[in-house]
Amino acid sequence: MKAFTFKPEKCDLCRKCEEACVAVCGPAKKKSSEYVPHIRVFQSPVGPYIRLCRHCEEPPCVDACIGESLQRGPNGLVIQDEERCIGCFMCNMVCPHGAMKTLMSQEKAFKCTLMCGTKTQPTCVLACDRGALFFEEVSAHNKNIRRAKLKELPRK
Amino acid sequence: MKTNGRQHLIIGNCIAAVSAAEVLRKQNPSDTITIIGDEEVPSYSRCLITYYLGDMITRKHLLSHNEKWYADRDIGLHLSTRALSVDAQKHTVIAEHKGKKKKFEYDKLLVATGSTPIFLKSFPYDPAGIIGMRNYRDAETLKRWAKKGKKAIIIGAGFVGLKTAYGLARQGVQAKVVELLPTVLGRMTDLEASARIVERLTSHKLIEIELNNSVTATRKQGDKYVVTYQNGAEEAADFIVASVGVKACVEFLEGTGAALTRGTLQVNERQETTVADIYAAGDVCISPHIISREWIYNAIWPVAASQGRVAAYNMSGQPAAYAGDIPMNSVDFFEMWITAIGNVQAEGADIETLKYISPRVYQKVFIQKGIPIAFMAVGNVDGAGLIRGAIVAEMPWKEFVKKPQARVLPIAGEGM
Repeated sequence: MKAFTFKPEKCDLCRKCEEACVAVCGPAKKKSSEYVPHIRVFQSPVGPYIRLCRHCEEPPCVDACIGESLQRGPNGLVIQDEERCIGCFMCNMVCPHGAMKTLMSQEKAFKCTLMCGTKTQPTCVLACDRGALFFEEVSAHNKNIRRAKLKELPRK
Repeated sequence: MKTNGRQHLIIGNCIAAVSAAEVLRKQNPSDTITIIGDEEVPSYSRCLITYYLGDMITRKHLLSHNEKWYADRDIGLHLSTRALSVDAQKHTVIAEHKGKKKKFEYDKLLVATGSTPIFLKSFPYDPAGIIGMRNYRDAETLKRWAKKGKKAIIIGAGFVGLKTAYGLARQGVQAKVVELLPTVLGRMTDLEASARIVERLTSHKLIEIELNNSVTATRKQGDKYVVTYQNGAEEAADFIVASVGVKACVEFLEGTGAALTRGTLQVNERQETTVADIYAAGDVCISPHIISREWIYNAIWPVAASQGRVAAYNMSGQPAAYAGDIPMNSVDFFEMWITAIGNVQAEGADIETLKYISPRVYQKVFIQKGIPIAFMAVGNVDGAGLIRGAIVAEMPWKEFVKKPQARVLPIAGEGM
């Protein structure tokens, strides 16, 4: 499984990732000229942070989507049929990463579907020359640490 | 051909059934899967019928699962087939299809029949003019009535009531909504939020909302329906939509011994009913509250989808447990979004509330002993899931507002 990692200490908010995202997946086909990157970088007092779909293994947004717009795609990706989105924002209500871009003007929600066309790396990662954004295989070692951590947490 | 596989039978054809069928097929390539549904169309999203009524989506968009979807997964589909009774000993289901009785056998049965609108004595079901808004057929009927009718009375200003009024108004019908409570959307709002929603909805000249009123009687007069309100006033309309609530469709399970809780099917975390080999998922059964672990009736789409999947894993012999959820919902009216998570009418000495109020945005969070328990947003709902995550993880509010992501929420941004 691959996952995004973000190193806030390396990010200087140059927004090249956002630009690259818009250039490839962007709103060319959409009505408005509004700037809609699926990856969004924000500044905060404790450093920059990103809002981006993590393609969860058990995506709550897919279960919550009443329009059946969000679906489980191949390779564990969470994909979206934007035509089917009716703008109820149920997905936004359940996404723990705040990844959904809720575009009120278009009455639709958008997200990263990792369909930016490059086989090796997502466009935003390729665009990042500051070494802040990675999309890499979660190593077995890493996985084990996460599993052990999860076991410590109280079960919900 | 499959001969030695198990027989999985699903009664009901909405999201719980469909998500279960998908898992069942993946887990059991050689088993037989059969779905029986009482509607004449294949599965579709019931939440979209009001959008279809208002012509915001097409018929093709609404009917998302065509026969090919079932064929691709090798799922037997029986439409217009209504289950009449279940024999839990013999593992059979008797169903009716166009007046003829049919017998289905099963090894594992999933009950996903959902719920049906409640009608009261003061507004009894009448196929000629008093219906609920629950399925495709209802939406088609209302669309037909909207062509000749000028005025509709909608009883109940819940989700379905308001969305139906919105849909009817878009069809050019004057829609009057009557609600017993002082707020719209029942448990999802407070007075302030309700006032904002009412203001937005009634900005449409065809929508009228009357709170603190109820219907005590209805009678037919010519081809009109006349309702009497609790204050004695009368009003005539071409047709009436009842949307005061729903009840689980469980009648056909009579005699099986399946236990009910307040009229709803009782299940455990594995979605098993009290009868062996009968499982249930969706609006027909109860579900656990993710924090308090109480069993509640949380008839929302995400719960049905998850329960269907959990049931399917257990039916396949793979133990799985449903973690539960919290009552929540999200909706939009004329580009105004409303999201409510948890009990947003919680009261108590140990509950404090934080509010963010601006002309366009109203947000409120309920904090009990330092931990957020509920959240409501009107106008700007961006990042609502972040708070939901904090509620579910029982993360202290002080800790949550320190997270950089929390800053996207006006209500948490203040705490920085």
